[in-house]
Amino acid sequence: MLAMVAVMLSVATILITWSVMGGFLNALIDSGRTLVGDVAIVWPNVGFAHYDDLIERLEEDPMIEAATPTIETFGLIKLPDDRIELISIKGISAASYSQVTGFADTMWWKAIDEPTPKDYQREDIRLDEHYQQIFQDMESNGISMTRPNPKTGVIEPAGVIGIEVTGLNQRQDWGGYYPMTPMRALPDGGAERVDVFMPREGTVGITILALDSEGHPIDPVTQTIPIANEFQSGLYEVDQGTIFVPLDILQRMLRLDAAQRVEIVKDDENPFAVEVDPVTGEIGPKMKEIIGIDPARVTTVLVSGVEGSELEPVRTRIREIYEEFALAHAGEVPSSFQMENQIRTWEDLNKTMISAVKKETGLVLFIFGIVSFTTVFLVLAIFWSMATEKTKDIGVLRALGATTPGIAWLWIRYGAAIGFVGSVIGTGVGYWIVSDINAIHDWMGRTFNFVIWDPKQYYFIEIPSDVDPMKAAIVFIVGVMTCVMGAAIPAIHSARMDPVKALRFE
Amino acid sequence: MVAQTNNSVNKSTDENTLKMSVRSVQKTYRLGRVRVPVLHGVDLDVKSGEWVTILGASGSGKSTLLHLMGGLDRPDKDSSNPASVKFEDRDLTKQSKRALDRYRADDIGFVFQFYHLLPELSVLQNVTVGSMIKHGRLGYGKHRAAAVERAESLLDRFGLSHRLKHRPAELSGGERQRVAIARALINEPSLLLADEPTGNLDLKTGESILEAMIEHRRSAGLTLVMVTHDERIAERADRVIRLVDGVVVEENGTIS
Repeated sequence: MLAMVAVMLSVATILITWSVMGGFLNALIDSGRTLVGDVAIVWPNVGFAHYDDLIERLEEDPMIEAATPTIETFGLIKLPDDRIELISIKGISAASYSQVTGFADTMWWKAIDEPTPKDYQREDIRLDEHYQQIFQDMESNGISMTRPNPKTGVIEPAGVIGIEVTGLNQRQDWGGYYPMTPMRALPDGGAERVDVFMPREGTVGITILALDSEGHPIDPVTQTIPIANEFQSGLYEVDQGTIFVPLDILQRMLRLDAAQRVEIVKDDENPFAVEVDPVTGEIGPKMKEIIGIDPARVTTVLVSGVEGSELEPVRTRIREIYEEFALAHAGEVPSSFQMENQIRTWEDLNKTMISAVKKETGLVLFIFGIVSFTTVFLVLAIFWSMATEKTKDIGVLRALGATTPGIAWLWIRYGAAIGFVGSVIGTGVGYWIVSDINAIHDWMGRTFNFVIWDPKQYYFIEIPSDVDPMKAAIVFIVGVMTCVMGAAIPAIHSARMDPVKALRFE
Repeated sequence: MVAQTNNSVNKSTDENTLKMSVRSVQKTYRLGRVRVPVLHGVDLDVKSGEWVTILGASGSGKSTLLHLMGGLDRPDKDSSNPASVKFEDRDLTKQSKRALDRYRADDIGFVFQFYHLLPELSVLQNVTVGSMIKHGRLGYGKHRAAAVERAESLLDRFGLSHRLKHRPAELSGGERQRVAIARALINEPSLLLADEPTGNLDLKTGESILEAMIEHRRSAGLTLVMVTHDERIAERADRVIRLVDGVVVEENGTIS
């Protein structure tokens, strides 16, 4: 019984640890994947042209679901309370970006379609029936990256900002957010209220360095961006330092938009030649001549494979398509050789984060594995004591003709039976605990004021609660094997026992 | 010390009727560094269907002799005077461990003074366990019905048909010993080795146990070798062997 309880506890502990840590890793990976798609074609800083053609070529391929152009850069953001922060700015085309990534699902301010009793318990503001229409509008604003001007009502392009960027959303104990009113520090030592709800009337100012035709930063450019919604990807680093803005706005700010290609001219034949400025209409001496158009550029094209496709074959196919694309635009876009290592899967892009969490999971499992390995010795000690207690019975069985392997097999079978029953119960208990871990955790918090998983700290709202059947099977088998190993030494000892000594044992 | 070579006991004239023949058997145990000789060259013949009682005080070597006859132990090796323990025509001293296991399962039955029933098993299971050992876990399936039938029949004969599902702890001493005898007989052995089967029972119960064994011996033509220190039991045997300090010092050849 003791041995069975030990096996049961070990199996349940390992299964819970592995499932929660594995679930944590999966949640993190899923979050990391949410805004990346499957594969990214990256040419940083200066970007690459003719991306529309590349996307067209990609989307024609049966392996590719969709592709979208993006620009990634860094800049400064001026928040409503006048704080200035460093921010990652992503220019996206809202419609196609939602096809490639889970962008649409990351909108925080939205009506909840199918609220659970738990949602009501949490007093989530998004469930307030008076605001349902407002939240629905905010969601569609966020997805389309537009917002009506609060004064004029004119629809304007808008950005979507990470939920943690502004500091205007107070994270609740249950992991959600409640809008709050911050105070702006004044030079005289006072403070004033900044009464703003970002998705309704909030704006931010972003400042970046525009690039010249060679990709060198030149003048800083600042633009005010209305905010249509706030997003939560599940990765704190992303949610506290990222803003999405319409692609065309960022292209203009960075000077990556389509532009006339001009040449400084000197007309020797007619030194009095003039030209009309197309913007001002003023006439002046002719200084330059339009010799062509520089197409717009982006730094990244994100690609998603069709449902169920493997990453590597998709990447290989993208490389092939890019090769054709590069040949078609030779001299205007990076060659396929230069792009070889710039076509990266989402795993490559999140490699550091994934490997760190994998290592942590492995470490925790290793430690628990060692702790659980003591079960082998516990079973061994219990079986040894049982074998000693049963010495006389072993002698009787030998007297009745039981063979040495027969006696050994008896103990091993007994160990396997204990391991089997203990592992079945342990797996069941582990499965149940993991499945209901959030309810159990809530109950522990209410009853004993004992909170292990604080959503405020761990960022994920709930403890991962999925049990991988494969993991459960592995833990189950290891549980049985542990018992068999623990039973093996007493089994051999019993089998080798001299039957006469066994019969005379007192 | 009595001369060991002259301890020959039963000089049987008809070798064909010999069930067991023990020759020049010596046995020494080690207690740490101390060698403790127990048997000093014992010779003994047991005829088929005979009841031989081995009498002797504690420490005289009776149980050791029984264990050697049961193939649970082996005699000391002495190249000048090699020992033999023959069951019918098989010399147990030359048998492999596996063959000895087979011998104990198929040919003999053991009855102990302290019953040695397995406490976790029911009365019926305690009896059928012998059949399970004989046929193996897998083979037992085929013989299970027959084994259960025979176990029930034996237990019925010993007046225990109402105790089949009881555990040994729920039985009296006499009942336990009857279960132990049924267990020893489950595989229909031709030789029963009983080590003081009534030694732990009161007179009346001991008598009933003895009667059960005698009755079964008669009906099944069983050969019985019984170790005891009870002279009254010995008187009822076909032949009595007396062991003193590992040496056969007396033989009573008369049939009671």
